[in-house]
Amino acid sequence: MATPDNEHIVTSYEDELTSLTRAISEMGGMVEVAITNATQALIRVDHELAKQTANGDKRVDDMQRLIDEQAVSMIARRQPMAGDLRHIVSAIHVANDLERIGDIAKNLSRRTLHIDSQRVSKQLYNGVRHMSDLSLQQVKRALDAFTARDSKIAIDVCRRDDEVDSLYISLFREFLTYMMEDPRNITDCTHLLFCAKNLERAGDHATNIAEAAYYLETGGNLYNDIESGKVSLG
Amino acid sequence: MSVDANLAATAAQAPADKAGKLKMSGNGVNVFYGDKQALFDVDLNIYKNQVISLIGPSGCGKSTFLRCLNRMNDTIDVCKVTGKIVLDEQDIYDKNIDVVELRARVGMVFQKPNPFPKSIYENVAYGPRIHGMTRSKDELDDLVTSSLRRAGLWEEVKDRLDQPGTGLSGGQQQRLCIARAIATQPEVLLMDEPCSALDPIATAIIEELIDELRANFTIVIVTHSMQQAARVSQKTAFFHLGKLIEEGPTDQIFTNPINKKTQDYITGRIG
Amino acid sequence: MQGWFFVLILVLTAGALFYVGRSRAVSAVGGDSTLLHSKPGFHGAFVMICGIVPAVLVFFTWLLFSRYLTNAFVASQLGADFANLATIEQQALMRNMRSFANRTDLSALGAIEVNAVEAYRSFVANTALALQAVVAVLVIVGSWFAVRAISKDLRARQIVEKTVMVVLIAASGVAILTTLGIVLSLIFESIHFFQKVNFLDFLFGTHWSPQSAFEGVGEEATGRNSEVFGAIPVFAGTLLITAIAILVAAPIGLMSAIYLSDYASPKLRATAKPILEVLAGIPTVVYGFFAALTVAPFFRNTGEAVGISVSSESALAAGLVMGIMIIPFVSSLSDDVINAVPQSLRDGSAGLGATKSETIRRVILPAALPGIVSALMLAISRAIGETMIVVMAAGLSANMTVNPLEAVTTVTVQIVTLLVGDQEFDSAKTLAAFALGLVLFCVTLLLNVIALRVIQKYREQYD
Repeated sequence: MATPDNEHIVTSYEDELTSLTRAISEMGGMVEVAITNATQALIRVDHELAKQTANGDKRVDDMQRLIDEQAVSMIARRQPMAGDLRHIVSAIHVANDLERIGDIAKNLSRRTLHIDSQRVSKQLYNGVRHMSDLSLQQVKRALDAFTARDSKIAIDVCRRDDEVDSLYISLFREFLTYMMEDPRNITDCTHLLFCAKNLERAGDHATNIAEAAYYLETGGNLYNDIESGKVSLG
Repeated sequence: MSVDANLAATAAQAPADKAGKLKMSGNGVNVFYGDKQALFDVDLNIYKNQVISLIGPSGCGKSTFLRCLNRMNDTIDVCKVTGKIVLDEQDIYDKNIDVVELRARVGMVFQKPNPFPKSIYENVAYGPRIHGMTRSKDELDDLVTSSLRRAGLWEEVKDRLDQPGTGLSGGQQQRLCIARAIATQPEVLLMDEPCSALDPIATAIIEELIDELRANFTIVIVTHSMQQAARVSQKTAFFHLGKLIEEGPTDQIFTNPINKKTQDYITGRIG
Repeated sequence: MQGWFFVLILVLTAGALFYVGRSRAVSAVGGDSTLLHSKPGFHGAFVMICGIVPAVLVFFTWLLFSRYLTNAFVASQLGADFANLATIEQQALMRNMRSFANRTDLSALGAIEVNAVEAYRSFVANTALALQAVVAVLVIVGSWFAVRAISKDLRARQIVEKTVMVVLIAASGVAILTTLGIVLSLIFESIHFFQKVNFLDFLFGTHWSPQSAFEGVGEEATGRNSEVFGAIPVFAGTLLITAIAILVAAPIGLMSAIYLSDYASPKLRATAKPILEVLAGIPTVVYGFFAALTVAPFFRNTGEAVGISVSSESALAAGLVMGIMIIPFVSSLSDDVINAVPQSLRDGSAGLGATKSETIRRVILPAALPGIVSALMLAISRAIGETMIVVMAAGLSANMTVNPLEAVTTVTVQIVTLLVGDQEFDSAKTLAAFALGLVLFCVTLLLNVIALRVIQKYREQYD
């Protein structure tokens, strides 16, 4: 409803807003690839891919700094109002969350390097694979919600965060069972448990992005709106 | 009208909007300049001790509405106002209303500083003299002093009250005009783009002044600077092509306007 | 005929030179005029200036001095015969010489005059030829140098612009010099007068009857004349009539100005103002007979009816009609200055709750005061200089009185009466006119200076 489809009178302002959106999409793409690769490396215990992914995080950090600078400079020079203001502020938020997801991908990759590929039974990975699929999908959907300015997708992402959380809890129990079954599993299971925790955190960041998307679109706070009954998750 | 009835009416007219007391309100205000209609059915509430800013593109009717509030449009022969504008329960377009007294209660500050070609003292004393507000010279002196003080100009001019007001700088002149308006002890202060002719520092001083004056007056300000509206006002009303498009708390108007036209205007898109 | 032919030649030459310069400039850069420093037109104008201006200057200088040169030449030809003549006879000879120069029949003339005519004819014929040759050479040489100078980088524009400036200075110089000339002639004639009449006696004397002036020179004459050339009554009359006129014009003019600017609708104003200004366009002589034939008898009859004796030529009638005459000056100028007071001041005053009349009284009039004062000053100057109405309605007798019902006279009227008729231009009577004119000039000048000062002092106060 408040989607600005009119062009700005100042075309360079319009160009800057477009370039900001493009930078977010690009950064989103980078993070998606990073988290996909990190989970792939983890599941296939591919140390080469893990190293690559861990090293790739620097680019994500640089991208975040770039977006921050661009946003701050626009606030200083353009004094954005209303939709534009929300656009820029949420871009800062999203970039921050994406950077954190990038960090998570880096952590996953580093942890992968410590896991001994010979010892780990494939059985252990089923839950983690499921978890990573779900988290990755949450991140993708949240980014879709942001770029398409679609509050429905955003609400959906928030709703499905519960699934990620419950999956994490069941994984936690599963790993606990493995560790109690065979103490030799403790090291790897602990690593995998941390990985699952990281993936759960990635899901939380996806929710944050979804909230930013919701704010961008409606100007409201998603959780306040849920509490006040404006939005139902059911 | 009794205080109770007043309160009751206020409560009725001001729903969940703001806790403040209703000072002025326009109901279905239409303004015509000859055959041309300049304002269409404007409803706007103005609350006590609040600053409300009227924004919108040139020719949108915001100044016209402002000038209706103290009947400055009366001076234009072809101008016709319909609808109801109420100041403290009284219809100001009622036949029994004395325009002279109304304008003492609803003061006005204009776009360009317009001090009279008289001394600083005489500029401020002009209103009180016209309305015969003081009994003695001492009383008038006190009134002039306190008005200049409230306008934040006293320290700068106290040693040269007998010098012409036109010799002051632009920002000082505008504060002199504010002092001049305050001197008639108005309840509402109308400001028609008071900073548009001033540099940023003078503007900042006036904005600070507006914030201080809010404690004693109700202020309606027309401005072309959206940043200024965002800075000084508690409520903002957006006019477009003679219609009131949207009004609401300034925070909401500038972060999350409901109406597409408001959004387009304040973000600098063609509306 | 010859003069017109000369002008025609001049214009044609100028056009041709312009064309030559223009095309020369274009060809100098191979047809691409964008390469030129100045546009081709400037080059054309440059050649034209170099060709024409020196020639024209020489021509006009010749016109200025040819008379003296001719006289000198003729005198030298005639030799001692001429030198022996009296000055007046010499002047007569020269006049006759010129009037007979174009006639063939010289039989009516004496020998010396015939000689003079012949000398004159040969001189004129020779110098005319020489002049034409000089002018032609100047045009050719000037334009040749100019054409030679044309090149890509010639700064023709600057030269042309400078020439334009010089021409403009010369034009304003003419106006200033003319004024100066008028003032100087007034001063010199007045000095002649004050040699015959004591300056202080003239300025402060209370008896004015130039008709009884004593012709002749010497102590006695000066004494007599000092008694009859006392200018006070004349100036008193002027003052009286001007005062009456201003008393009539100031309130009416000012009030109508206020009405027009602040109360009248724009439509009414657009109609009423030009109508009021028509008053200024009526010839003063019409006002004069209006005053003499309508207003003065009306006053006299009214006066008779209430038992007051009113002279049939009264200061009141003249002053009243003069006041009517200057109403448009006051109202139109005041209306303009009142209108020039910014609307923002009116709004500011109205916004404080002032009524229209309060606003006008307390804000508009003080702000417009300098303009109004200057309007009044202009009206006063006009009234002082006015002649026709007074001649016809106020009479000629120099009474020193403040009673507006009596006849008075004014400075301008006296000047007219003194200079009308056969008068020697070196008698005290006629010279008195110049003295009166000088004093009048000083008075109006003073008024103008005061008006200017007032405007300067209060101007920009509301800007």
